Amino acid sequence: MSWLDGLRHRVRTVLDPGSYERELEEEMRLHEELDAAQQRDPYRARRRFGNRTYYKEETRRMTWLGSLDVLRQDLSYAWRSISRTPTFTLTVVLTLALGIGLNAATFTILDKIYLRPPSGVRDPSSVRRVWIERPSASGKAFTSIAMSYPYYRAIATMAEPGGLALVTIHTDVALGRRRSGPKVNVAYATWNYFPVLGVHAAYGRLYGASEDRIRNGAPVAVISDRLWREQLGADSALSSKTIQIGPNVYDVIGVLPPEFTGIELRQSDVWIPLASQPLESWMREPWWEIAGYHIYFAVQRLPRGANERALEQRATQLLRQNHRDDPARMGRDTLETVQLGSIIEARGPGEGRQEYTISTRLAGVAAIVLMIACANVLNLLLARAVRRRREIAVRLALGISRWRLMRLLTTETLVLALLAGVAAVLAAWWGGGFLRSLLMPDIEWREPALHWRVIVFTAVVAVGCGLLAGIVPAVQATRPQLTSALNEGSPAGRGLTHRSYLRGALVVTQAALSVMLLVGAALFVRSLHNVRGVDTGYDVDRLLFGMVDFDADAEPPVATVAADMSAIAERLRARPGVEDVARATMAPMWGFSVTKFYFDNDSSTSLVGKMPTFTGITSSFFTTVGMRLLRGSVFDDRPGAPAHVMVNEEMARLLWGERDAIGQCIRFEKRDNPCYIVVGVVETTHNFGVVEKNPNPQFFVPLGNMPRKRAWDQGTTLIVRTRADAAPSATTDLMAELRRAFPAGYPSVRAMTKNLEREYRPWRLGATLFTAFGALALIVAIVGIYSTVSYGVSQRMHEFGVRVALGARVHDMLTLVMGEGLRMVALGVVLGIALALAAGRLISKLLYAIGPSDPGVMLLVSAILLIVAAVATLLPAWRAARVDPVTALRAD
Amino acid sequence: MTPRDSKSDLIPGTLDMLVLRTLSLGALHGYAIAQHIERLSNDVLRVEQGSLYPALERLQRDGMITSKWGKSPTGRKARYYTITASGRKRLGEEISDFDRLALAIDKVLGRA
Repeated sequence: MSWLDGLRHRVRTVLDPGSYERELEEEMRLHEELDAAQQRDPYRARRRFGNRTYYKEETRRMTWLGSLDVLRQDLSYAWRSISRTPTFTLTVVLTLALGIGLNAATFTILDKIYLRPPSGVRDPSSVRRVWIERPSASGKAFTSIAMSYPYYRAIATMAEPGGLALVTIHTDVALGRRRSGPKVNVAYATWNYFPVLGVHAAYGRLYGASEDRIRNGAPVAVISDRLWREQLGADSALSSKTIQIGPNVYDVIGVLPPEFTGIELRQSDVWIPLASQPLESWMREPWWEIAGYHIYFAVQRLPRGANERALEQRATQLLRQNHRDDPARMGRDTLETVQLGSIIEARGPGEGRQEYTISTRLAGVAAIVLMIACANVLNLLLARAVRRRREIAVRLALGISRWRLMRLLTTETLVLALLAGVAAVLAAWWGGGFLRSLLMPDIEWREPALHWRVIVFTAVVAVGCGLLAGIVPAVQATRPQLTSALNEGSPAGRGLTHRSYLRGALVVTQAALSVMLLVGAALFVRSLHNVRGVDTGYDVDRLLFGMVDFDADAEPPVATVAADMSAIAERLRARPGVEDVARATMAPMWGFSVTKFYFDNDSSTSLVGKMPTFTGITSSFFTTVGMRLLRGSVFDDRPGAPAHVMVNEEMARLLWGERDAIGQCIRFEKRDNPCYIVVGVVETTHNFGVVEKNPNPQFFVPLGNMPRKRAWDQGTTLIVRTRADAAPSATTDLMAELRRAFPAGYPSVRAMTKNLEREYRPWRLGATLFTAFGALALIVAIVGIYSTVSYGVSQRMHEFGVRVALGARVHDMLTLVMGEGLRMVALGVVLGIALALAAGRLISKLLYAIGPSDPGVMLLVSAILLIVAAVATLLPAWRAARVDPVTALRAD
Repeated sequence: MTPRDSKSDLIPGTLDMLVLRTLSLGALHGYAIAQHIERLSNDVLRVEQGSLYPALERLQRDGMITSKWGKSPTGRKARYYTITASGRKRLGEEISDFDRLALAIDKVLGRA
């Protein structure tokens, strides 16, 4: 391998330059000595050899040492000029670091959400999630991975036997008997979940089909490596090891490899056979027969060479056939279709969490900030290149090659970019961690914010920016008219430099991009404001909710809890800070229950997509939460009271249309059950969230006369209406009462505002992040505008001196300089608005009650930018106006 | 042609070829290579002998030759150069290239 010999030789010279030099010297001396002996004349020998120093250098130039020498020269030149202008360097480095850092920070999030498949899964690219597309009442289809067990059973045959796995995840489950135990996520998965994903046990074994039979699930668990280390002390002897979740005890039979933590963004720690899943309070058996429990999702591994479209069609057929055969659906057809999607959930086909969308938009914003930063740096470098024309002309005149000069100049910007890259990595490290906890606080980010991909990403962006920002000015600078550049003193030489279209274009670009970001920020701020102003129908800031939880084996009978709550309600009502108290099965906008009912000759089954929800309440509920009674009266909630029910306006309209709802009859569960008479109609309020596209039908049943007796239907939630400003004292009172009544329980008090706060989150996030990024962009752009105008002024001092000498007044000079600056910015604003209008639809889904092309927002942003730009140009304009003609004309 | 004190009396690349040709006979040190080239060309192709060293470095860098320190017959320490397989291959290519060039020159001069 001859090239290898060559390489070895090159490396050796670099690694040991000292002995390389010595050996060459020795070799040449030997040569001369031998020749001197031969020629019998040392001087003749020396002449025959030639200039020894020259040949030594020539030889050295052949090696990598030679290239290193050149590099060292370039670097020391770069370093000299960088350290000579610290302010300039700092500006460039900080600007680039900001731009790159933002991108790296958002990249850490995008990487996790969109790019990285879950670790520990064999060949994740051939694993598919099953999505169900459901037509909704509003006409727009809703696609989600949620399905119920009957769906799974219906479509399971689309895969080869055992090829489709089903899983459901309970989040924040307390480990151990007590509710105060450490919280983990528990996955209840069919036995084939592991084979489908290609996961093997690191210790012990996984559960099999025989342990996952419906009705007969085995109490076994497979745990994560982390849990094994933290809870079992990493003891690989698993026999007799158990974990407990509430009342249930599971034998630990296996430990998974450390890299596998489930296929969700949130890590799971325990896997239990699906058949062994404990029933949630609202579930009942046979859960495997109930089509409405959409809490499961399915994964499948594609067989080699499978046709995905054909699979989807087959599964859709199976699902529709199943629906037709389902007696509960009474032969009604379905429009639901099955779709297959990547194992990375965010990739769809359905919409993911709003945070996903925000993070992609944020990445776009970060890219724009980087563009602004690059434009700014380019501008600064161009300005400097122009200042250096003379130096460069001298170098060219002295015979430096263009290539060498380019290298020299590009090395300098690359060094700057690398400094910026280092700063950016630090920024990304800090900012990435910050963004993560801000955007997705509920996800455990196991990997550090600085993944090597982020570093590579940063390096690529930094080098790209450095090259771009270096080559453009270098090309410009190495193309000077030598004579005019050297004669810089002459007005002709200056005339060439004072206007540069490129620099003007950069300022326009910066202004345009800033406008775009600020428009986005303003739209989000307005959306947040609009969302906060939404009237949900409740007196949100007056309401407190009181609840209590118990350990599984220490739970008193629900009737006792309800009675205690009732007693607390009476005592609280007498407190000065409390206006009213009610009990309910559930707090407003907390959750919902549905039940089957019959009305007229119809049943609730016909109200697909408009299913009324119900709440059991005491009669003080409406005055407590602030709902208006529109017609009729409020029922009596005491036990033994007549069977009355109240509906909201939307339900009245939906069921009886123009007819009066009062006096109508509703029968629950069975057609021949006793009649509940509608006695009152209340206003329609929000039920599912702050943002509801359609009004929701809802009805209310007296707690003392619930249609079916179920434990949790007895009204164990307290709703307290406080006087204005009395919320803190009422919170303390309520908490104290709950603690006294339930010493063994876990009482909690929540303000309704706190609950809604969670729902404002996406808008708040958008508003905060867009505003922060927009403000950063604005600062960078303003620095750019200032430096461009300011530089232009310093270049034209001679001209301004003449103008002032000829009688120009301060006002004329200000108009001249500011006019030029503001014209560029105005052009940028117009372009920016056009860009914002074009990009508007990308964020329209994230906005609320405001269009992406809102004229008020556009005007506001334009005004802001022009005012700020005016301030930025005022300073240099002032300098131009106050120029002393004598000094200016004598300057050269 | 009288010997002139010029560094570029050779057609570019010729020196490499001469070095390779010389080394194809066996391992030699720098001075011996210079001597051999002088003898081969009957003192016609004269270069400053120092220019041999950049050429040796270039050939070695490209893996055409390798070097090793050894003892000369007179007992002095000297660096001996050896041609490699790719060196021999390059020599063959260069000779045929050179032949083509020489033939072309002959044609231009009307001697072929």
